[in-house]
Amino acid sequence: MAEVLVAPRHRVERRAMGWWALRAAAVTVVVGGVLGVGYLLITPWRGVLGPVLLVALGVGLVHLVLAPPWRYAVHRWEVTGEAVYVRSGWFVREWRIAPISRVQTVDTVRGPVQQALGLATVTVTTASAAGPITLVGLDHRTADTVARELAEITQATPGDAT
Amino acid sequence: MSAGTDEHRGRGGDEPATPPPTFPNGDEAATGRSEQSARWERLDARVIWVDLVRVLLSLVPMVVTPVVFGGVVDGSVLWPVAVVGAVGVVGAVADVLRWLKTRYRITGERVEVRSGLLVRSHRSVRRDRIRSVDTTARLRHRLAGLRVVAVRAGDRTGGSASLRLDAVSAATAARLQDELPTGAGTATGTTAEPTGAEAGGAAKPEPAGAGTATGTTSGAGGAEAGLRAKPEPTGVGTTTRTVPGAGGDGVLATFRWAWVPYNAFTVWAFLTAAGLGWGAYWFGSTVGVDLAGVVAGLADWGALGTGWTVVVAVLAAGVVGVIGVGTAFVVEHWGFRLVRADGPRGTVLRTSHGLFRTRRVDRDDARLRGVELREPLPWRWSTATETSVVSTGLTANSWTTGASTILPKAPMADARRVAGAVLRDDRPLATPLRAHPPAALRRRLGWAVLVSGLLTGGLWWFAPGSWWLAGVGVVPVALGLAVLAYRSLGHALVGQHLVTSHGLNRTTVVLRRGAVIGVAFRQSVLQRRLGLVTLRTTTAAGAGVYPAPDLLVADGVALADATVPGLLTPYRGEMPVSSSTVGSAA
Repeated sequence: MAEVLVAPRHRVERRAMGWWALRAAAVTVVVGGVLGVGYLLITPWRGVLGPVLLVALGVGLVHLVLAPPWRYAVHRWEVTGEAVYVRSGWFVREWRIAPISRVQTVDTVRGPVQQALGLATVTVTTASAAGPITLVGLDHRTADTVARELAEITQATPGDAT
Repeated sequence: MSAGTDEHRGRGGDEPATPPPTFPNGDEAATGRSEQSARWERLDARVIWVDLVRVLLSLVPMVVTPVVFGGVVDGSVLWPVAVVGAVGVVGAVADVLRWLKTRYRITGERVEVRSGLLVRSHRSVRRDRIRSVDTTARLRHRLAGLRVVAVRAGDRTGGSASLRLDAVSAATAARLQDELPTGAGTATGTTAEPTGAEAGGAAKPEPAGAGTATGTTSGAGGAEAGLRAKPEPTGVGTTTRTVPGAGGDGVLATFRWAWVPYNAFTVWAFLTAAGLGWGAYWFGSTVGVDLAGVVAGLADWGALGTGWTVVVAVLAAGVVGVIGVGTAFVVEHWGFRLVRADGPRGTVLRTSHGLFRTRRVDRDDARLRGVELREPLPWRWSTATETSVVSTGLTANSWTTGASTILPKAPMADARRVAGAVLRDDRPLATPLRAHPPAALRRRLGWAVLVSGLLTGGLWWFAPGSWWLAGVGVVPVALGLAVLAYRSLGHALVGQHLVTSHGLNRTTVVLRRGAVIGVAFRQSVLQRRLGLVTLRTTTAAGAGVYPAPDLLVADGVALADATVPGLLTPYRGEMPVSSSTVGSAA
């Protein structure tokens, strides 16, 4: 793919790995916690819940170790006067390109963990049901700048962008 | 896109009066029609009469049953009859209450409906956001000259309508259907004959809400005429290369009896048979006939043995079900016509059909982005194809409402002819598609082996005895499906259209290139090893995403770049880069 389609210019912040790791850990803790409580309280089910718990913890651990650096290697973004271009994913990669003229709305989102890490997500929606393009793991100042510039460019574009 | 509808729910008591509407221009207000329309209006009063008749009808069994049984009525007979009566009466009373509490208003800018007894709701839709206006009529509506009007706006791409008027008079419904999507305009009849130069004038796009209100009263008789119109010869539809924007083409398709078998043989036939059988048994038991006993007495089932009994039962259910589904299809699609008619804001694709319950759907041509042909796998050999439009505001999976379907299952030749006429270009579907690389076949075969292997392993581990052999038996089936799935893959760029096809139920999508509002590539680790990529074109219409799975990487990028000229050009690298993850960092 790299030979025919160059990667977007900018990497995401290194801190984003921490955010992805925290998210993965949180999911593992919740799932593992539910299964663990089930294992302790519902004794007749232990034969089934025991292996399931082990598998869940194993998958969670592998995901925690593997996914954040892999995502960091894959995730890239670029915004020009013509298009928003994002590469994301890890096991399944996705390249998404939307012309600026088709952008409907731009907003930034900062969850509590993102705020603690100084990160922000820029969400760019188009009229498609395919879902918004998200630029994750940006420094919150960069995100604000990007969102502001995008909004200015979008407002200058006529039409209803469908 | 969600700004079209405002909803305020849960307000107790009366709402403050809505301020008087502002009209886009003075002319419209001066015609008098708008002043009249700006009043809050009730639904048609005939709804009440229909409800009264429903009450009487649902009470009929209560009167008749004692007569039939000669005054001897026990609980087993009385209960079903009482339930039928109670449901009918409660439903009718609730409907009367709904009628009492519902008001609607059409201003120059908005359509508003206030309704609800306990939970008051006030819903308004901006007229320039309206994407389709359907009218339906059940038998009781038709007998009373009523129509149910459903208004769909862009805010909800799902099945439900943005707002419904249940019900208004047929004349009002026709008027609404002609005027609503436009703000105002000349009301043409529902028959498809364009009247020469006037039709060309009417087809001129007008800004929403700014049209003139001339001729609005002439729409009154139009819908009735259209619904009762005799089918016209289909020959007109074969002229596919008309100039775009040239106004209505006339009739594109009419009902053909040859379509019935295509739609009657479905898996739903058995479900229908079960429903019919249960209904008959239930009805029989209310009037004192033991249907199970009758069936048991038809043949010596014991002598036939279990195997043959099952065979006979399945066959009988199949026959009953197919007849049932076929009848339902004929009743629903009676007098089916697909026409391209002149609407006030350009042309519309209009389907109208139904014997007892009539339905007419107008789809704005200006919102048309493409066509989708779907060939279900079990009937691939018969070339049965269902045709629907890809249009903004109509989702592809709205088969529940059927608003996007413009032709029921029909032979491929019919579907292609109609699709070509709808696109006004028959080349996209006539051009052979380019096959996808053999690696795509390898990927599918690999998945087939993996899935059937996992199934076999699971059966061997969990199921007793030699059940795992069934898993082995699945392998050739899975491999066959993999080959079929591969053979479905194809893509082409024909003129102004991107054509892609994929899926076991082969789905061919013709999408206008200008409607593509973004591209995405997806590549799993396994696809990467095979040098494949899935191109997903995003659009504001239909399903929103139309994939072209498993293209060669270079082909995928080239196809996307050609589809949306210039979009990818700045990112197309000619020189090889050592790895995609290193290089130009921020």
